[in-house]
Parts: sequence; C-alpha cells; structure tokens
Amino acid sequence: MKRLIQGAVLASSIIASSFTALAQTDGGTLVYLAQPEPPTLASYVSTSGPIGLVAPKIYEGLFDYDTEGKMIPVLAKSVDVSADGKTVTFTLQDGVVWHDGTPFTSADVKFSVMEVLSKVHPRGPNSFREVESIDTPDDTTAVFHLKNPAPYMLRALSGYESPMVPKHLLEGTDIKSADLANNPIGTGPYKFTEWKKGQYIRLDKNEDYWKEGLPHVERVVARFIPDASTRTAAMENGEVLYTGYNGIPNIDAVRLRDRDDISVTTDGYSMINPMALLEFNTKEGPFTDPAVRRAISNAIDRQFMIDTIFFGYGKPASSALSSSFAATDLYKPMPNYPAAGDVEAAKKILDDAGYKPDGDGVRMKAILDVIPYGEDWRRAGEYLKQALGDIGIEIELRYEDVPTWLKRVYHNYDFVMNLNYFYQLPDPVLGVHRHYGTDQIRQGTHFVNSSRYSNPKLDALLDAGAKEPDAAKRSAIYEDVQEILAEDMPVVNLFEMQFLTVYNTKLKGVYGSAMGPYGSFSEGWLEE
Amino acid sequence: MSFWKRFARNRQAVLGMFILALVILMALFAGAFYPDDPFRLAGKPLAPPGTSGFLLGSDSLGRDVASGIAHGAKTSIMIGLVATVAAVFIGVIFGALSGYYGGKIDDALMRVTEMFQTIPSFVFAILLVAIMKPSIESIVIAITVVSWPGVARLVRGEFLALKNREFVQACHTLGMGDIQIMLREILPNCVSPIIVVGSLMVATAILIESGLAFLGLGDPNIMSWGFQIGAGRTMLRSAWWVCTFPGIAILVTVLAINLVGEGLNDALNPRLRERQ
Repeated sequence: MKRLIQGAVLASSIIASSFTALAQTDGGTLVYLAQPEPPTLASYVSTSGPIGLVAPKIYEGLFDYDTEGKMIPVLAKSVDVSADGKTVTFTLQDGVVWHDGTPFTSADVKFSVMEVLSKVHPRGPNSFREVESIDTPDDTTAVFHLKNPAPYMLRALSGYESPMVPKHLLEGTDIKSADLANNPIGTGPYKFTEWKKGQYIRLDKNEDYWKEGLPHVERVVARFIPDASTRTAAMENGEVLYTGYNGIPNIDAVRLRDRDDISVTTDGYSMINPMALLEFNTKEGPFTDPAVRRAISNAIDRQFMIDTIFFGYGKPASSALSSSFAATDLYKPMPNYPAAGDVEAAKKILDDAGYKPDGDGVRMKAILDVIPYGEDWRRAGEYLKQALGDIGIEIELRYEDVPTWLKRVYHNYDFVMNLNYFYQLPDPVLGVHRHYGTDQIRQGTHFVNSSRYSNPKLDALLDAGAKEPDAAKRSAIYEDVQEILAEDMPVVNLFEMQFLTVYNTKLKGVYGSAMGPYGSFSEGWLEE
Repeated sequence: MSFWKRFARNRQAVLGMFILALVILMALFAGAFYPDDPFRLAGKPLAPPGTSGFLLGSDSLGRDVASGIAHGAKTSIMIGLVATVAAVFIGVIFGALSGYYGGKIDDALMRVTEMFQTIPSFVFAILLVAIMKPSIESIVIAITVVSWPGVARLVRGEFLALKNREFVQACHTLGMGDIQIMLREILPNCVSPIIVVGSLMVATAILIESGLAFLGLGDPNIMSWGFQIGAGRTMLRSAWWVCTFPGIAILVTVLAINLVGEGLNDALNPRLRERQ
C-alpha cells in the first residue's frame, strides 16, 4: 500500500515533497519578472539567460531534474542505457500534442536532436557529440546510438538545455531565422499568447496539457521592468510574485528577505554553475599576448567585486573550472588567480613582457564591453576599469543593448574584451568545453568560443576528457586542461556567482526543479 | 542706468550669480581639490558622510561622492555651454533667414522647425542618444537638436519686427548686402532676448544631460551628476547620500541659472519690467 501511494505521488507530481493534503487552488495569474527582455523565444538557437526565463514554460525537454539532481520524467517516461553505454533508449509519454494540435512523436525528438540542437544550439553539439544516429521504431520510442559512452548527455535533457521543437514547423526552413522564434509552439504547460514588446509576454494555460490536472494557473505573465528599484517595488507590493537570476538587486534582496511574505533562496541553480568572466579577442587587438591576459587576471581583486557589488554572494574563481567540480574531483586550484588581486605581480608580468608605461603610466588602451544584464554588471565594469587602470591598461567602457552586444561579440567578433558570465553546467563537457575548443569557434552562435582560442594540445585533452569513463584518469586529464588554461587564459574567470531567487510566499510549487527560474512552472499554484 | 546696476536691483539674480560662480569655480578647481580620477575606488564602500575621510560619503564601490560632484560640475557646465552655443548658432541661422526673407523660405524653414518642436524634447533626446552610441559627443548633439527650434522662433520674431524699421531701410538705400544687414544691423539689436533664452537653455541642457545619465544613457567614461544619481538610486533606502548630494547639486545649479536668466531679462529689457 505504501509503495502504491508513493508511486502515485511520483507519477503525478514533480515535487513529491510538497504534495500535501492541502489541495492546490486552480486559476489565477502568475506574474513574474524576466530581466532583461529576451530578444526572441528561440531557446533552441540561443541559451541567452532571458530566453531561458520564458521559453521553458512553452517548450519541454525529455527530463527535468530535482534539487538533488535526480531525473524526473517529462516528455520521456523512462530511459534505458545499454550495458556498454552506447545505446540509449527513451520511451516517450503517450498522447502529447503540440500547441497547434499536431501529435508529438519520436520523429520530433530525432529532428530536435539531430537537426536543431546538434547544429544550431550553442551547447547542443557538445551535449550530443557522441550521437551517431537515432532510430524511431515507433511513435513513442527513440533509440540513440552513440559512438562512445556519454553519461553527461543525460544531464542535458531539461526543457531549458535541450528543448524539443516541432519538426512540422521547422523542417525545411532556415532554423536560425524561422518565425517560430517569435511565435513559439511547444508541448509545455503554457501556450504563447501575446508579446507586448517592452512590457510583457503573456502565456495562457495549455488546456490539452498531457499531464492530467496541470497546470493550475490560468495565465503566466513575464513582465519586463528595466529599472531595478521599480522591480523591487513591484515585488514588495505583490504586483509580481517571482524573480530569479538577480532580477531584484542583491542590496534589495538582503532587505526583502526579512519580510514575512517574501523569501530569498539560492536554490535552483545547481545545474547552472554560473561563472563571471572576461572573454578576450585572442586574434586581434591588445590582448593577443597571453602574458597580458595573465596580468589582468592577477590585477583583479575578486573578493572586492563579490563583497561590494554582489553583497557577499559569490566565490572567487581559482581556475578555469568552478570549485563545485571538486565533487567529481575535476577541479584543481591554479596560480594566477589571487583572490584579493596582486597588482605588483601583474605589473611585473607586463614589464617582463615588454609593455612599458608611457609618461601617464599607460601601457595600452582597450574598450571593455559590458554584459547588458543590469546595474550590477555596470558597477563591475566600472570596477574593472579602475583595477586595470592601476596596472596601466586604460579602459573605455561600452554598454549596448542585448541584440547589439550579442552581435558584436558572437557574430562580428568586433570586441577585444568582454565582461560576461557563462554557465559551467553540471559537467565540464557541457559547460566548459564550448569556451575553449577549436570546434567551438562557431561564428554567429552565442556563448561559445568567441575568443577564437585554438590549441591542438588542449583540443586533444578535451576530447579525451569527454570520453574517459575512469574517474581518476579523467581527473588527471582535467588537471592538465586547467594548467594550460591558467597559462594561456583566453578567458579570465572572475568569480563563481550565486544567483538569488526572490519570491512571494503566496506562490507555491515552483521550487522543486533544479532548473529554478528556467523550469516550466507546470506545478505552480497560487494560495488564496 | 548701467547694466550692472539694473541687474543688481534683482536680489535673487545676484544670489543666483553668486551660486553659479561657486559652481563654475568648483568645476575649474575640481582637479586641484580632488586630483584623482573621480571613478577611483577611494576607500570603504557606502561610507556615510563625514566618515572614513569622505566629506559627502562614498558610493557602492567606494568612490568619493564629493569628488564626483566636483568633477561632475565640469561635465554639466561644459555640456550646458557647448550645447547651448551650438543650439543658438543653428537657431539664429534658421530664424534670421526665415524672418528676413519671409515667404517661401520662411514657410519651408518654419515647417522644419515645427517638425522638431512637435516631438517631446526629452524623448527625442533619448532616441538620438540611443541610436548613436552614448558618448559625450552624442549627448551634446542630442541636446542641441532638441533645443534649437525655440531660438529659431524667437529670432524669427525679432527679425520680422526689425526688418521694416527705418534704419534697416536706410541700409537698403545705401546698398548694403542682405548678409551684412542681417549680421551687422539686425542681429545686434536682438542680442538681448537671445542671451536671456540662451541662459535658460543652459539650465535645460544640464537637466537633459542628468536625465540621460540617470537612465544609463550617459557617457560611461565621464563623471556626471546624473550618473551618480543613476548609480546610487538602487540603494536610496540604505545609502541616501549617494544620490541626494548630486541631486542637490543639480537643483541648486539649475535654480541659480534660472535666477540669473531672470535677472538678465530684467537688466537687458528694462522696458518689459517697467511695463509690469
């Protein structure tokens, strides 16, 4: 009997623990903040943060993950991995239809993985690198044939990371410019209804959702409020109920967390592993010399940035890999990442490399592009300008809107230094390789190797690291990787970020997914 | 009565002049009082006024608010003056041609002027700066573009009133060229209203610049009062001093310029005053 109940609970709810005797109320409008406004809703083309806040409510993946990292069935009922790890069989849910009424089948899975994610998605080619072919013996079975075992692939199946997209709407079109980007059709709990540019995106309940009894809320609205204090005020007076990814600045979150009706959490980011960093153009401009990049890494007081700009939420970076990879024994602390900065060491590196200061103490000049995701990053840019000025690198700051900035960095390579953050994700193969591999120099694809750094020795190591099943050997491979990167530094990691989710306690049921704000909100409901 | 005597009759104008002089002195000697870059991280972040060696406190990165105000004065005054001079220059050309020649030229030039006047000036300025990259040049250009139509209309009115006066007709009879008449005869006679309008325009220009910087459209590499307020507004509740003092600086400066403009008006157009 006990087992039976457990089974029923698991089958009906992602968040088994929150399933109490209290009935969830249906109806209501869930308003949350998305900051900034996404450029499109093409989550199959761009992993840009704001897209992730909206698109996973519309598109689903094969699996979700709970806060402990366990796989939760979504579009796939179950997965079976063969003994040699090279055949992965997904059994899909029955009776799933796209928002336009067309049935969702294994052909959509095959198309999404082979034609979309493996080709135009920033991280897909890495996640699915070993997939040689996919068989679809029937509508609810998809058999992935792999060249080599790829356990990390099963960590990349969420609706944010690998959305399943409709084959019948994308096949034969230019996927990158398809109209689906602005009129998304998914299988998710909410249907796209309206996009009022500059104000909100409205999603309505999917009445034909495959999961019985869900979703609870009638309507989900993603609001865009460019001004941080207005966002905070909207949260305080209950106009919006939820925001993640520091939509509320840390300074206000620290104040709001003392209120009864508002809570703050750092949960929901464990699959994300975000790292703040500087990308450099290694082909042109003043930062082609690794010594200069090393000097920059040495000059920065990482702890100061965390303490003053992010109110203590964060951890200084100490290697190309996040320290959270210590759990799998891949992380090793490296030199050239002094937590509090070492200006003298930085100056010495520049002196030794022959960059002498002129009469004004200036060794070189450069423009720093700043990620346009809010005030905190502007402050970080202003800090960097000062810190690099201290070692004789005169910085000019440049702020642009999201599309212009993405285009500059990832389409035109028209930058020399870019303040940004990347998700390292639950495995280096998923989140870190894309930053450094030669095969990841993919013009026009966002958040990949924009530095155009290419090192055959590193490529070989990354390749070996992806395929190595033995934990000890894998650890040794990544130690070499980190040593090379601490020397060459095509990217200077600044600090491991800790995002904050601020929410009104009236909103229930959206906290069980490891994807946090990038989750589907399918279980969300509002207390009266 | 001399100009200065008439000006001094207006006490408020004298006060305005005094404050304005202080602001200009502050701008000129900002580098002497605060030789460091105002963006420099000078010490403890968010130090209240009077502590840790900060007269007016420090902002979230530990930048000296007082230093920012002193250096920001330079930016505000500079942008105010340059934009005003440029706007007056364009406005005078448009207004003079249109008022002097009348007819089709007048129609054409005034329609263009009206086109600019129908767009709300601040929104237009935001648009222009957003299209060009936010920089000190683009801000000056934007302020100029939204400010000149007022001058053009004023100058046109003056030229219309003066062009049929006897001294102008006398010049025609003497065989003087149009350009000479406009520049040497009519223009000097309408300098006073232009000066008054121009002085008030400096205040508007400072306000527009602050507004733009507040919205994040300022030049990120140049310290300005609007930037300070913009950077501090998220922490208004926990660190009031970061945006309060630059706000007071803007208020006082704009008020002073308005008082001076008022005084100039009284001094340069005594008849207006007597009529009241």
